[in-house]
Amino acid sequence: MKPKPAPSRLPVPLAAALCVALLSSLGVRCASADWPSWRGPDQNGASTETGLISDWSPDGDNLIWRGDVTVRSTPIALNGRIYVQGRVGNDITEQEQVVCFDAKTGERLWDTRFNVFHTTIPFNRVGWASPAGDPETGNVYAHGVGGMFVCYSADGDVVWEKSLTEQYGRISGYGGRTHTPVVVGDLVIISYLSSSWGAQAPGRHRYFAFDKNTGDVIWASTPGGRPLDTTYSVPVIAEIGGQRLLIAGNSDGAIHAMKVATGEPVWKFGLSKRGINSSVVVVGERVYAMHCEENLDSSALGRVVCIDATGSGDVTATHEVWRVDGLTAGYTSPAYADGVLYVVDNSSKLHALNAETGDENWTYTVGTVGKGSPTFADGKLYIPEVNGNLHIVEVGAAGATTLDKESITVDGERFAEIFGSPIVAYGRVYVPTEGGLFCIGDPTVTFPEMSDEVPPEDDPDLDNATATITHVQIVPGEIHIRAGETAAFTARGFDAHGEFVREDEATWTLNGVDGEVAADGSLTITEAAVAHAGTVAAALDGVAATARVRVVPTLPYEENFDGTEITEERGSVPSFWIGAASKFFVEDLDGARVLHKPRASRGLDRAQAYVGPSTMSGYTIQADMMGTKPKRNMPDMGLIAGRYIMDLMGNHQKLEARSWTSDLRMAQDVAFEWQPDVWYTMKMRVDMAGPNAVVNGKVWKRDDPEPDEWTISVEDTVPNLTGSPGIYGVSYADIYYDNLKITVSE
Amino acid sequence: MRHTHRFALSVLALSGMIANFAVAQETAMWGGTPSRNMVSDETGLPTEWDPDTGLNIKWSVGLGSQTYGGPVLIGDMVLVGTNNQSLRNPKHTGDRGVVMAFNAEDGEFLWQASHTKLPAGRVNDWPQQGVCSTPFIEGDRLWYISNQAHIVCADLHGFRDGENDGPITDEADTSDIDADFIWSFDMMEELDAFPHNLAVCSPIVVGDLIFVVTGNGVDEGHLNIPSPFAPSFVALNKNTGELVWEDASPGMAIVHGQWSNPAYGVAGGTPQVIFPGGDGWVYALAPETGELIWKFDCNPADSVWELGGGGTRNNIVATPVIHEDVVYIAVGQDPEHGEGPGHMYAIDATKTGDITESGAIWTVGGDDFHRTMTTVAVTDDIIYTADLSGYVYALDRATGEQHWRYDTFAAIWGSAYVADGKVYIGDEDGDIAVLKQGPEMELLFEVNMGSAMYTTPVAKDGVMYLASRNRLYAVSDEE
Repeated sequence: MKPKPAPSRLPVPLAAALCVALLSSLGVRCASADWPSWRGPDQNGASTETGLISDWSPDGDNLIWRGDVTVRSTPIALNGRIYVQGRVGNDITEQEQVVCFDAKTGERLWDTRFNVFHTTIPFNRVGWASPAGDPETGNVYAHGVGGMFVCYSADGDVVWEKSLTEQYGRISGYGGRTHTPVVVGDLVIISYLSSSWGAQAPGRHRYFAFDKNTGDVIWASTPGGRPLDTTYSVPVIAEIGGQRLLIAGNSDGAIHAMKVATGEPVWKFGLSKRGINSSVVVVGERVYAMHCEENLDSSALGRVVCIDATGSGDVTATHEVWRVDGLTAGYTSPAYADGVLYVVDNSSKLHALNAETGDENWTYTVGTVGKGSPTFADGKLYIPEVNGNLHIVEVGAAGATTLDKESITVDGERFAEIFGSPIVAYGRVYVPTEGGLFCIGDPTVTFPEMSDEVPPEDDPDLDNATATITHVQIVPGEIHIRAGETAAFTARGFDAHGEFVREDEATWTLNGVDGEVAADGSLTITEAAVAHAGTVAAALDGVAATARVRVVPTLPYEENFDGTEITEERGSVPSFWIGAASKFFVEDLDGARVLHKPRASRGLDRAQAYVGPSTMSGYTIQADMMGTKPKRNMPDMGLIAGRYIMDLMGNHQKLEARSWTSDLRMAQDVAFEWQPDVWYTMKMRVDMAGPNAVVNGKVWKRDDPEPDEWTISVEDTVPNLTGSPGIYGVSYADIYYDNLKITVSE
Repeated sequence: MRHTHRFALSVLALSGMIANFAVAQETAMWGGTPSRNMVSDETGLPTEWDPDTGLNIKWSVGLGSQTYGGPVLIGDMVLVGTNNQSLRNPKHTGDRGVVMAFNAEDGEFLWQASHTKLPAGRVNDWPQQGVCSTPFIEGDRLWYISNQAHIVCADLHGFRDGENDGPITDEADTSDIDADFIWSFDMMEELDAFPHNLAVCSPIVVGDLIFVVTGNGVDEGHLNIPSPFAPSFVALNKNTGELVWEDASPGMAIVHGQWSNPAYGVAGGTPQVIFPGGDGWVYALAPETGELIWKFDCNPADSVWELGGGGTRNNIVATPVIHEDVVYIAVGQDPEHGEGPGHMYAIDATKTGDITESGAIWTVGGDDFHRTMTTVAVTDDIIYTADLSGYVYALDRATGEQHWRYDTFAAIWGSAYVADGKVYIGDEDGDIAVLKQGPEMELLFEVNMGSAMYTTPVAKDGVMYLASRNRLYAVSDEE
């Protein structure tokens, strides 16, 4: 089946009367009263519902049901169901999960759990991102802290999944910040910091649009500069001047607008010297953005700014409408209703700003720490505090009044942390907390009937075929493939508005790919090709584009680095390795050509280099490695197989097997004395023992014979079933590797 | 774990100096004295001012955008640790940690020391947080910890005295607004210390020794101590910057970072440096040798450390205060971890060995006291302190019993300053509350300073110096 073209401008569907005008015109349609994505149907933290409760109690008053789930992010409501993402388990069973509740009764319809691996995010920050729902298909998308990106059907079946870390070099967030996906048309868009290969080797904040049905890469966009922080600003979709834009706070401290269908950057607005976490709100052609850190042009901390969204290029100096300096709101996102922008600052003080002028109508002290965002509905704001308090605050022209404040606990013992935001759907308010999901509302009000009607199909046949093509997109935008295999590419043309024009025959060429590409865009890799990477290029109406091709190893795979070209004493890692380019180098050492992991010139010393695709299993990986000890410290060095890490830890003189750096749920270690400046050989494999995985490893001095027995064997009852082979290192001192071999396990 | 260096021999000769602590030179430091007690005998302090109208504002001056170090007063100068967002030296651009010196009389900017950021980034040197250390000043020398985790000794008068004091004499910039560095000791290079997020210690100098918490902590995975052999506590010769002794007591038990400061005092006739450990223990070490005198676990035995901040086990961010043979200290966490249960202790510092069982005179905690970064002010009968949850407390000094509790409705990072019958305290909303000193709670005055107050108020010669996140104010009654 050919991938469906991205939709062009859509006719207003019939359901629009029940929806909000802005979004329906963009094709993000929703059934009555759904809250399908993290800031709601209007992407502005506000609901048009009325008749909502003004007080409740965790002990029962107006509490309709409580879901037993540990939530950190914001739920969504879709077709009468509530979906939440959170953490679950104890010790070895600690995992991330997505849970689906019946919105009316609280019945737990399904839950699904997945492993967290290769991240420094701790267990209690798992479930940082919110899920996103697709009103068209009922599917739900979840981005886990370990980089799993999964499309679930409404019934919890996995439609497709990606390991963003292993496949696209996603960098684990520092401290937990993980991005929430956005569904628009046929795309699901997710952003993250990445450092993979080729043009995407430099660490940047990138946006990836996947085909929401297949998971194919449609486009990748790098609108910003060097990342300053990990961030979690969720993109907002808006139509500005007839152009559909994706507008997001970036880790480079700017707000960036991109064309939805192509990812082409349209404008940027420089806002801060630190990354942006708040999501923007778009009203008409104005964008409201905020942050709590250093400004570019003043020593005041924090700013709320109104941006005219109709510009192009760098609009920092030209398209600012108003600003409020010194307002430090950097964790929450604003809510907008009736001409007023409601901002909860870091100290949980509520500011009502005139959206037209930026004038502060009034301020009101709500609590102490604001992290979850305020939600507006029915003349009230539902405002969470991280310390377990939920405030219901009535807002008016002159000021605010607290109607209710409830303290939510975990089992009555300590306050339940609230980082997510309340949502409003079906006449009820759903409050996500560490102590459970609370559905609060008037129990005497009838729950609305869910319509079985599927929203009408998008009409992609608007006649745009004669428009001038200014941008070409090759789909899929990135693949991995093996020697002898074939893949199909298509070339799609878009006009200057970023709207689809036509999919057509193009002129195809290859850059650095060992294979042939036919006139119809089908690529066949040479049978004898060794692993490498390059691009496939197409020109349509004279407009060029490329797609990225990784030819991944066919086992057995060996790399001794002897064939690597060295200039100025350094050579590059193999082109198809992921996450290695700026961390590892090929050098000569004592007459041998080896891989070197020096101390990081900037950033972290920790690195994971992935050599093959994430779907691999049943292999054995082996390499020689040597650590140094210039002063007190020795490095940690090792291998990766099946999402497990095995490393010789220098300062601790032990050999450890683990999967999740900041949660040693299955980790075990054995004492292992090893010396600096001595080459060791490590061998690692993951075997299945019934439903469990067994991580086996052995280490010996390279010059000694290989021992018969495994040095360490660790069983994981919550196993990773597949995973990329790779090299691991934390270079507190220099590490050298050589003679990497990956073979099919005997 | 203690490791005595070859310098120890030369230290024996210094012990006499420590006994003769009361030297003539004027000193200034975080907490006023080496005991770190936030009580002062200043009088005539203001109870009313307004930064908007200028009422009782003697002067004010812009700082960087984030200010955590100081202010500290000496002679006619006030020094503050901040960041580089106000760019006072056009040659020193970009994100830097800065110590600024001003004329205390009129706020005139005098000179600054600035330090670029470490290439490792936030794991060792968090962006834009500046120099968080409050300098120790004695005579014409100051000592502080830079954002690069150097122990820095500099000339109080910069190059304005017309001299380039050494051993460091190769400063690139030697104008009137630049710092005259004397010596600098790189704790990452020399000790392999791995400061978690930032080295922030406000050092103390006693005799010829300077005492510092290195900041050694976990890596960005938050479980592993990457440099377990690096010391947490060190003593250097204040004149030469030579390492005298080092101690790695908390070692592998460090749960997160070490962002606290040592205190010095004499308890039961024994001079001791009180080091707060990243394992939640307090260690009293002999100043000359680093030998352990006593140690005390500030976490209840059943407490649990939870990665990311949800748990009941804490480390120590507050500074210990030693007063009349008793050490007062409370536990807390990185404020990023939010509010949580805390504990405060009065510890009998005359005992020796592991005094966890025997040393607690009293403790408060549970619902009555939460995670804190606040250093206490101890008067004859009452202890004034605060917590991250925004409460200010007056506790009975003998029993820990609560006289009163005042809710500021904003997180408190700084400490209460007690002088002239009043308790001054700032909060994250930028409010300063002035409460009446004594067993009855009375709010005398409250004003918003326009930006968060993370620092502790301090007074000299009847003038209050208040550093908000981005501005330094001198406040005095104009009457």
